[in-house]
Amino acid sequence: MQPASPPGVARERWRLLTTWGGEPGWNMALDEALLASADPQPVLRFYTWEPAALSLGYFQRWAALAPRAAGLVVVRRFSGGGAIHHADELTFSLAAPATHALFRGEVRRSYVRVHALLAAALARHGIAATLRGAARVRSDLGATGMCFHESTELDLVWDGAKGVGSAQRRSGGRVLHHGSIKLGRTALEQGVAVVRERAPTVTAEGLAVELAREFAHGLGLALEPGAVRAEEQEFARGRADFYRSEAFVRRR
Amino acid sequence: MRPNDRKYTKTHEWVKLAGEDAVIGITDFAVQELCSGNEGDLVYCDLPEPGRVVTAGETFGEIESVKAVADLNAPVSGTVSEINVSVEEHLEVLSRDPWNSGWLIKVKPDSRVLDGENLMDAASYEAFIAASKH
Repeated sequence: MQPASPPGVARERWRLLTTWGGEPGWNMALDEALLASADPQPVLRFYTWEPAALSLGYFQRWAALAPRAAGLVVVRRFSGGGAIHHADELTFSLAAPATHALFRGEVRRSYVRVHALLAAALARHGIAATLRGAARVRSDLGATGMCFHESTELDLVWDGAKGVGSAQRRSGGRVLHHGSIKLGRTALEQGVAVVRERAPTVTAEGLAVELAREFAHGLGLALEPGAVRAEEQEFARGRADFYRSEAFVRRR
Repeated sequence: MRPNDRKYTKTHEWVKLAGEDAVIGITDFAVQELCSGNEGDLVYCDLPEPGRVVTAGETFGEIESVKAVADLNAPVSGTVSEINVSVEEHLEVLSRDPWNSGWLIKVKPDSRVLDGENLMDAASYEAFIAASKH
């Protein structure tokens, strides 16, 4: 992919956040703060979870996932799709106006654009990730309720299995894009493609650097590393309990 | 040209008056953005209970396609009088007929005049869509 900005043209500036080992409810609440932000500057955030957690998609039924949730912290996401076991993975979120070039138009096109950037970064680790298209993948176990056990033609796959879970929330003229890249396999996500099978030494932090580089290069961006803002932190701290609450987790 | 018997929002809902009610739905453009012509891609829709008060510009429900959850925003303020329960079970109707059988909710509107600043006629909506593609 060629850089979006030719030499001499001012590059678009995005915020870059990294929050390692975030508490699960806080992780989701911070993403909500980024989605609801009045600041039009796009944000790319990389994060991990401590402790590991199970996140349900916004519309999923709790009863269908409850048997898999034993012993785990459970949150419900604001984004859709299936459940994800956030353990040994790199999670990222993108928040931007829906009019941004990355998200403009049909939802499926935005997935193609984001996944092209991810595929380019994964290629640096020797991983030939492609859109699934019409292919069949061995990770499609079906009926588990897990995101990685159901795929669409737009999902990124390698080694014959789904390797990236993705979901979006579109609200108030903005988009929150969630992504989950599996570094290693978990008991709840058998059969999925994982980065470490191809790149045994990769870490979440290291992969985040590669992805940030690819976003900057592929979109012609200046990524500006920064901290969570005070108002975002205040919102996330106050809202974290909601994402873990029975009222929200078991709302359906 | 989209139906000119109703008004449209920038978030791709429509509203039209019918008797005492204002009928609300989403446009073909919204459906296309969510599911790209694959009607099976629409998977869930949450609509409010009758009696709920909705406010123009605020969320009254949510819809999920295979790849995104999106808000449904009220074009007008009022009280929900009826919801289209069949849509929740048969979301494909939104792809086939978003203008009539794919209506989502009816409200008793606070105002009988559709003149809110957030509302566009069909021609303005067409122009808005054309501009948003660039």
